Amino acid sequence: MITRRSLLRHTAAAVVAAPVIAPMAAVAAPGGRLKQSVCRWCYSKTSLDDLCQNAQRIGLKGIDLVNAPDWPTVKKYGLVPSMVQGNGRIPDGFNRLENHDKLISDLQELITLVADAKAPNVIAFSGNRKGMPDGEGLANCVTGLNRIKKFAEEKGVTVNLELLNSKVNHKDYMADHVAWGAEMCKKVDSPRVKLLYDIYHMQIMEGDIIRNIRDNYAYLGHFHTGGNPDRHELNDKQELNWRAIATAIADLGYQGYFAHEFIPVAPEPLKSLEEAFELCKV
Amino acid sequence: MITRRSAIRTATAALAAAAVPATPATSPRLKQAVCRGPFRKYTLDELCQHCVRIGIKGIDLVDHTEWPTIQKYGLVPAMTPGAGNIPDCWNRLDNHEKLVQQMEENLNRAGAAGVPNVITFSGNRKGMPDGEGLENCLKGLNRVKKLAEEKKVTINLELLNSKVNHKDYMADHTAWGVELCKRVDSPRVKLLYDIYHMQIMEGDVIRTIRDNFAWLGHFHTGGNPGRHEIDGTQELNYRAVAAAIADLGFTDYLAHEFSPTAPDQIKSLEKAYEICNV
Repeated sequence: MITRRSLLRHTAAAVVAAPVIAPMAAVAAPGGRLKQSVCRWCYSKTSLDDLCQNAQRIGLKGIDLVNAPDWPTVKKYGLVPSMVQGNGRIPDGFNRLENHDKLISDLQELITLVADAKAPNVIAFSGNRKGMPDGEGLANCVTGLNRIKKFAEEKGVTVNLELLNSKVNHKDYMADHVAWGAEMCKKVDSPRVKLLYDIYHMQIMEGDIIRNIRDNYAYLGHFHTGGNPDRHELNDKQELNWRAIATAIADLGYQGYFAHEFIPVAPEPLKSLEEAFELCKV
Repeated sequence: MITRRSAIRTATAALAAAAVPATPATSPRLKQAVCRGPFRKYTLDELCQHCVRIGIKGIDLVDHTEWPTIQKYGLVPAMTPGAGNIPDCWNRLDNHEKLVQQMEENLNRAGAAGVPNVITFSGNRKGMPDGEGLENCLKGLNRVKKLAEEKKVTINLELLNSKVNHKDYMADHTAWGVELCKRVDSPRVKLLYDIYHMQIMEGDVIRTIRDNFAWLGHFHTGGNPGRHEIDGTQELNYRAVAAAIADLGFTDYLAHEFSPTAPDQIKSLEKAYEICNV
């Protein structure tokens, strides 16, 4: 029986609990303008099923960096394999002509698989400099990507060359500035050859995130996140205001995926993911 | 009389009150200041009164005629004229005679008034290689560093962006400025690290501040892009940046230099103060 006194107690509990409940309630709202996704490797201690189940519950739309054997699991939860890496390796990419034959045959195979699975994206890399001037590497990348662009266009799959930092994580990587990547895309001139703009990596290399995204938007096919300086949660301990960045991207009418690639350090990684989703739900 | 029911009510109120975040410590770790320029619609007296109320400790970019007013309120003229201007400064040898004269006059005046900082610049490139400009700045600053040390006034060479606001400005990267400071090697010749300008030019703000902290004498703020409020409307998380600076034990001033867009500019300043009150 509810007495007045017990009602008071319940009310007291509700008052205290309210600040905790409020952010949870927001989860029920639609997922916002951006299609958010998450990179598999950041949750290696969680099974793929668990990750997908939670991704679906949170409102994420895709899983990045999962290979073909995992796609049925991803799809079972109504999610999309939103970025597929295949055999590509960061240090050995399109900036060296001698890599092209192998890269192109691998990519053709991968694009076919990805297209059959109705997935949207594959990843590519510039490769490391190893002493090569950036202009020569750019010309070589254009030559290589020109050989694959028609196939990608026919299959409706976007090849995303990833921009990475060469200062902290990937020393000597060539595609470490957006201007270089945008120049390359301009020369390739295909709606299916774009850049993977990793916001964490580009904050390390050049900053000016919102302006650079706006100025080079036509060539940006995909986004990755991560707190800087430590690549952890997108929280108050790092230097970027992710909500403003997500808003700027959504305001441009972006239709691709915005994928979280931070390494969670909080005791509950899936809670960190949920918080990142809420933060970028604009 | 305390009945059981009223005791429950009191406990409820106490629990609800506990959920409200504690007010920040009365002695904040970072001393904040504000640049005079963006707040010209207020008289200096009005601005000073607001600063005292908010907890801001200094006013930046004010000349000696304004110092008595500022000091009357117990505030510090936290950054004052040193020598030269943005396009024409130490990177050209033919400017040095005039710059040394200006700098000596301003160091003497600042020292006498207990003013901690003077500002100076590299000048524009105008085709000059960065290495040559660095050598020239080194020669010039070496001529004034002893006086700065004697007067206990820090000379702060400002880092500015050359991409959007100050095309062709030479000191547009931290590494160049740090190399210069290392070679001048004086505790009284440092950099004014403008967070807004450096976010435009190079990003990686917290790591860069940590790695070069010994050479950073002063900070300016501003939202990017747009140089407006430093709140959620722009890309930097100023609270994390301010916390990182405070964690390093910084003792000079973090000065706000954004142009407020809100109709109530003082409210924007209050909000900026709270964001950086770590």
